[in-house]
Amino acid sequence: MNDDLILQHGLTLDEFSIIKNYLKRDLTIEELGIFSAMWNEHCCYKTSKKWLKKLPTNNEIVIQGPGENAGIIDLEDQDGIAFKIESHNHPSYIEPFNGSATGVGGILRDIFTMGARPIATLDSIRFGAITTDKTRFLLNGVVHGIGHYGNCIGIPNIGGECEFEHSYDFNNLVNAMAIGHVKKDAIFYSKPKTLGGLIVYIGSKTGKDGIHGASMASDVFSKDDEDDKRPSVQVGDPFMEKLLMEGCLELMASGFIESMQDMGAAGITSSSVEMASKGNVGVRIDLDKVPLRQPLSAYEILLSESQERMLAVIDKSNDDKVRKILQKWQIDYEVIGEITNTKRVVFTSAGKEVVNLPVNIIVEDAPEYDREFFIPRKRKVKEFDTKSLNLDLLIENLLNNLNYIDKSWVYNQYDSTVMGDTIKDPGQSAGVVKIHGTNKAIGATTDCNPLYIRINPIKGMKATVAESYRNLISSNLKPLAITNNLNFASPLDPNIMGELVLSIFGLKEAASYLNTPIVSGNVSLYNQTNDQPIKPTPVIGMVGSNLNYEKINSNFFKEEEDELFYIGKCLDPSFSPYFLQDQLDIHELYNFNDLIDINLDDELKAANFILESSKQGIITSCNDISRGGIFISLLKMINKDLGFKIQIQNIIDLFCEFSAGYVISINKNNIKKVSEISKKNNIDLNKLGVVKKSTIDINEHKINFNDLYRKYKKNFESIIH
Amino acid sequence: MTFKSAVITFPGSNCDRDAVTYLEDLTSGPVYKIWHEESTLPNVDLVILPGGFSFGDYLRSGAMASKSQIIKDVVKHAESGKYLMGICNGFQILTEIGLLHGALLQNNGLKFLGKNCFIKKRDENQFNKSISNEKILEIPVAHNEGNFYCDEDTLKDLLDNELIAFEYCDGQYSLDEANINGSLKNIAGITNKKKNILGLMPHPERAYQKYHSSEDGKLIIESILS
Repeated sequence: MNDDLILQHGLTLDEFSIIKNYLKRDLTIEELGIFSAMWNEHCCYKTSKKWLKKLPTNNEIVIQGPGENAGIIDLEDQDGIAFKIESHNHPSYIEPFNGSATGVGGILRDIFTMGARPIATLDSIRFGAITTDKTRFLLNGVVHGIGHYGNCIGIPNIGGECEFEHSYDFNNLVNAMAIGHVKKDAIFYSKPKTLGGLIVYIGSKTGKDGIHGASMASDVFSKDDEDDKRPSVQVGDPFMEKLLMEGCLELMASGFIESMQDMGAAGITSSSVEMASKGNVGVRIDLDKVPLRQPLSAYEILLSESQERMLAVIDKSNDDKVRKILQKWQIDYEVIGEITNTKRVVFTSAGKEVVNLPVNIIVEDAPEYDREFFIPRKRKVKEFDTKSLNLDLLIENLLNNLNYIDKSWVYNQYDSTVMGDTIKDPGQSAGVVKIHGTNKAIGATTDCNPLYIRINPIKGMKATVAESYRNLISSNLKPLAITNNLNFASPLDPNIMGELVLSIFGLKEAASYLNTPIVSGNVSLYNQTNDQPIKPTPVIGMVGSNLNYEKINSNFFKEEEDELFYIGKCLDPSFSPYFLQDQLDIHELYNFNDLIDINLDDELKAANFILESSKQGIITSCNDISRGGIFISLLKMINKDLGFKIQIQNIIDLFCEFSAGYVISINKNNIKKVSEISKKNNIDLNKLGVVKKSTIDINEHKINFNDLYRKYKKNFESIIH
Repeated sequence: MTFKSAVITFPGSNCDRDAVTYLEDLTSGPVYKIWHEESTLPNVDLVILPGGFSFGDYLRSGAMASKSQIIKDVVKHAESGKYLMGICNGFQILTEIGLLHGALLQNNGLKFLGKNCFIKKRDENQFNKSISNEKILEIPVAHNEGNFYCDEDTLKDLLDNELIAFEYCDGQYSLDEANINGSLKNIAGITNKKKNILGLMPHPERAYQKYHSSEDGKLIIESILS
């Protein structure tokens, strides 16, 4: 086997020699394909594994931590919640519509593979500066793709985030998250139970799409890649996925199948290898039996990432019963192999063994690297002058910046109310759905502050986790657990590797302190084109619950004359990075001060205050304070014609970032009660003003309500066109 | 007398459970779930063709579903004068069967629309008789093809026979245009001449609970039952 062929398969020559030394023979081309698929970053986490092991992944409510198709937590009684986030970054740059659509399809399969019915999706999408046609094309394609897939299959999209920033010009990010509901005694795992079980293929026929998708996702882009790599992008069919989902859920409920595995990245290869590895067994699969869309070689079948396919194990006696259920849903079904006791993965084609490898060399012996990393240098303290800024300018800057204004242009292309259980839809601090047939509500948020993490990965990550936490708390949800999507540039650069390692430390610290373990996740590296890296973007998806859905807090103002208060610590403008970037045009990294290290205990205290007041039903609305400060928080709370009249000592404070910050509205009659709870929790309650009809009034400076609110709601559309 | 109803599920229907829950919560009688391959409907007062992407919207939205086995009995049910309601994709199916006239084209903005819209009653029928003429209903839409279109003769027919059940209108605080998708005459829902068949683009089954963004969707079932 020549060196070029090995390198084309994304393996290093050192990695190849490990394989050869172990096998003591030449590899077949199919076997080389298998190592290419299984030893890349996307499938074996070779760079991140060492550090991911340090994360807290367990507590009393975790039923399933990382390592399965999705994590599962206990929601009391019979209810479990499965959830996970996954990236489809590389494909979404090459082919934004199909790349993002199949990202949604893949994460939904991860959920229903566990026996859970998907009940909500969220997303986290990032694009370059909107000044180029390319960014507009990507934005349109990605939003269309996410919407198309989720709308068609009928799962509500309940929230997410969307950011624009230069470092994503040539590497947009598309992370999709899904949440499912499962009865705790009906969870399915990928581990097969019995020897001799039949391996069955369920779903769409296999085609040429997506060959080498996983290894593409583990490489940097160079300039000509766009056209060359397009065939590596999978094509999605949400109608087929809907049939597959209903068919699989019916099968799992029937008791005729014993385990199931989604054919995701690296297709039949990774699903069968993982099945064998988890069960400590072997598999023997006849590739001639695989349903094909077009004639394919054994090598192509092994590496195809055609969508909407599942692998399951059944007892021989159930063959006909399973076939019958799938016929109803018009889904292809074929017995393609069996579980063996050899602990080897064997694939045959035309009667010949084209692959015969021990499972352990593919999985346990996969490389694990301890890459060199640098810790960022200490920063000198700088002072910034904000004298040039007045109220009108501060507001104008935010209203003309896509990252601050209403994004209904995006989420109005998503169906957020299908399934009839949506309590809070996108555009609010967290999305919330009722769990069908119960009184429980489950909510979720996705967040990341890449600028914070670039400045200081540990502190920045803590701040990001805290922001997710506040998003849930403000809705009166008890934060429960995390799924994470670590998007970074090339880890071969020790600076980038440093961001990866240190942000995991920050995540560990915050998640441990807040008792929100990480139960599932995904790593996406090499998000860079030539030598332009993306900002570090470890996205947090956090899930929380309230056992009484009627207690969920609204973000929106409720009654005129309700009084407005804020809690939390306002940061000095010189220590509010987004303020500096977006109000004072500071961009060079060396110009920023170090981040203030947030106090996680303050977050807990503020959370206790909000939860206790919400439980008593004495706050009428609540929103957290993040990028854009109190001002943006207030704009998001406007309801129909209900605006606000406020007084604040220093105007700048309205626009700076906060720690443990929330804005709340309270009916006058309840102020005493709320103030007692605040004292009990050591929280300073700061009076801000009142809710007032058709008014935006700051320190007696009146701003036209209709004009400002229209800009907030509609500027997005005019800026992107 | 109990009010019996049925909801048809096609492959790709995704609002069938929502329609069943809506009927279970707002009517007293049984709600039957019917698979499209069945050939007979139980004896019911109301049939709902639910929203979704039946048969993946292949060919045209609703076209394949209109040829399903169960449709013959659905037509018989309607011909006997009993209630038939098509919501969203169900509306598209009704026009493909030919029980309602006109067609639903792609939205004029060429994008899927998932948000609340505002509608009001235009011509009175069994589906809206408890709703006052002034009442503005706030109800979610979720469609890519909701832009109602028909030729001049059909439109004349709709107007002359007072078959326009609901039309899109301005919401009091809404910043959006009343006509969200380009529909002719702001049409959001129409009936047949006998006024026992309603096709409606907005989703009343997503707007009837306290936790929904509005409870106006109740009014349609209340009208039918009154």
